[in-house]
Amino acid sequence: MSSRALASAILLLGHLLARAAQGQPALEIAQKEQERTRSQSERYEGTLQVIDAKRKVTEKRWTFDRMGSHGNSKTILRFTAPAEVKGVALLIVNHPDRASDQWMWTPALERDRRVALQDRSTRFFGTDFSFEDLEERDISQFDYKLLGEEAVNGAPCWKLESHPKQTKSSQYSSSHLWIRKDNYVLVRIDNYRKDKLARQIEYSEIENIQNIWTPKKLQVSDPARDSRTVMKVDNVRYNAPMKDADFTVEALRRGL
Amino acid sequence: MKWLACVAICAGAFTNASAQDFEQRGFLETRLGGFPETTRNDQSHAAGQAVFQWDLSYKIFPWLTFSGGIEAQTDSHQETERKFHLDVQDRGLLRPAFEIRSFKMTVHKGHLSADLGKQFIRWGKADILNPTDRFAPRDYLDVVDNEFLGVLAARATLEGGGNSLDLVWTPRFTPSRMPLLNERWTIPPPDLMGRMENAATHFPGGGQYGARVNHVGRRYEMSASMFEGYNHLPLISSSVYPLASLLEVEAHYPKIRMYGTDAAISFPWFTLKTEGGFFQSREPHTTAAPQSDDYFLYVAQLERQVGEWIFVGGYAGQTITQRRSLMDFDPERGLARAFLGRIGYTIDARRSASVEMAQRQSGTGTWIRLGYSQLFGAHWRTTVEVVLIGGDSTDFLGQYHRNSHVILRIRYSF
Repeated sequence: MSSRALASAILLLGHLLARAAQGQPALEIAQKEQERTRSQSERYEGTLQVIDAKRKVTEKRWTFDRMGSHGNSKTILRFTAPAEVKGVALLIVNHPDRASDQWMWTPALERDRRVALQDRSTRFFGTDFSFEDLEERDISQFDYKLLGEEAVNGAPCWKLESHPKQTKSSQYSSSHLWIRKDNYVLVRIDNYRKDKLARQIEYSEIENIQNIWTPKKLQVSDPARDSRTVMKVDNVRYNAPMKDADFTVEALRRGL
Repeated sequence: MKWLACVAICAGAFTNASAQDFEQRGFLETRLGGFPETTRNDQSHAAGQAVFQWDLSYKIFPWLTFSGGIEAQTDSHQETERKFHLDVQDRGLLRPAFEIRSFKMTVHKGHLSADLGKQFIRWGKADILNPTDRFAPRDYLDVVDNEFLGVLAARATLEGGGNSLDLVWTPRFTPSRMPLLNERWTIPPPDLMGRMENAATHFPGGGQYGARVNHVGRRYEMSASMFEGYNHLPLISSSVYPLASLLEVEAHYPKIRMYGTDAAISFPWFTLKTEGGFFQSREPHTTAAPQSDDYFLYVAQLERQVGEWIFVGGYAGQTITQRRSLMDFDPERGLARAFLGRIGYTIDARRSASVEMAQRQSGTGTWIRLGYSQLFGAHWRTTVEVVLIGGDSTDFLGQYHRNSHVILRIRYSF
């Protein structure tokens, strides 16, 4: 073997080892993060405060019901406030291999409507959440890379970078994720479009509820609009019995 | 005594229900309309209306829910009744001052849901025109600003595995409410020298029924439906009495059968929503009663969201296979052979703006609605709409060319 071939082989080996050292732990960290939040169902009541660029605050409230696990779940959001959107509901059917299907029920129209979501960057009801942000983030839809370690609010975290796989149509070209080392809780996501920060999500007030570390406060910031949405969750309950028949278009119409 | 028993059962059940199973919402809205132009039968430039709506829902057991809504309203133009009368049927020429908008019992067990009572039933997937929406009569007193009317019906829906079957039976016909003959949304014949009066409204007897199957697939959903009953939009017959300078108008609701289909298909760049219905006259053609056409009414629209914008554009068409009717009032067919569009923009959590339009392909009629809406605090919303109508008097849209107007709505929601 010539010295050039040997050098090439060493370089290749080094590259593979470096990939293994970075890629595999990153995926494992993301997997553990997802596994530790896994539950058969979830229910909470959320209070949203949308704070616009002029610092005007608009409050919305909803109830959230999810059934199923990451990537294959069904969710129903029902607005309970303000009064004018009370009863508006959104059904999200997540798929492991493609964008979710979504239907919206509007009581004033007395009908469901399939939401056309070619562009899932659309903001949900004027909040800083986009429709895509409401979908679940399933690790199988992304490639991961470990960028290093960094503390968030004093807590040591792994910093990961994720890119959507080809099969996943995402508004974000990449994301940076901070996952706490002590309990594998996701505490921050910076979502990028190309190299520009598009949306930042921070998770705080983390409590252990039914053995699942649960952030009770989320803050979504949109730097381009200089607006942010703060969501506080209450009455969180995991693994409550739920029925498949309550996560259908017909269930949207039935209400409650 | 039966009522007393019902009340006792309900009261007992209510005491067992928790507060979480109770839901209510409503609003009080005042609408002020300004019309720059007068019309032949309406010399006023302004109209006002006040509406109160309250909807309640109570889940007594996980499988049993009662829900209903009431409405009270008044207006400046006597489109609303002036007598105290709690209306349930919604069959009058005028809007009832006090009305039970809906009241239904919903039983849900497994994959089956059944609704019994006065309710709203909506079919179809398109946004601007729904040919298959046969159980949804509307209040067309102000033609371009209409609202749905509830129907007395029994409805059963079986849903499972992405498929659903919807069966509907209505024992009693509910018509759409036509514009009043003495107001601006009725355009008298140009040669009429005197006045127009309602001579009769012929409500058909007998029930109506329909079925719809829906399938949700990968990136698409589609339905097939069938309706046997009466068109909630009337055929018009008239009698002229020259000596009395009088034109008498009668409304007939023809028996029809509709075979329909609708679909929504997601493509990478847009969503296609399409809907069509073939309407067949079921009147015995040997009678002297007015006959309805056989026709195919369809709409195809493309929809795309880009950030906070939503764009909807489409075409509504009609093919008449057998023409029989002489005169009718049919805003659905009135929108046919037209390009339809809507652009919506969500400015922020409190403000939104929209433009809707219909442009007849022949160029004889145009309708454009510009809207801006803003939320104040948690309860108040103000909406301003500018409606522009232009065109030729022979066209369904164009005939209202003197009815362009501005509406200011102030709503308090609770």
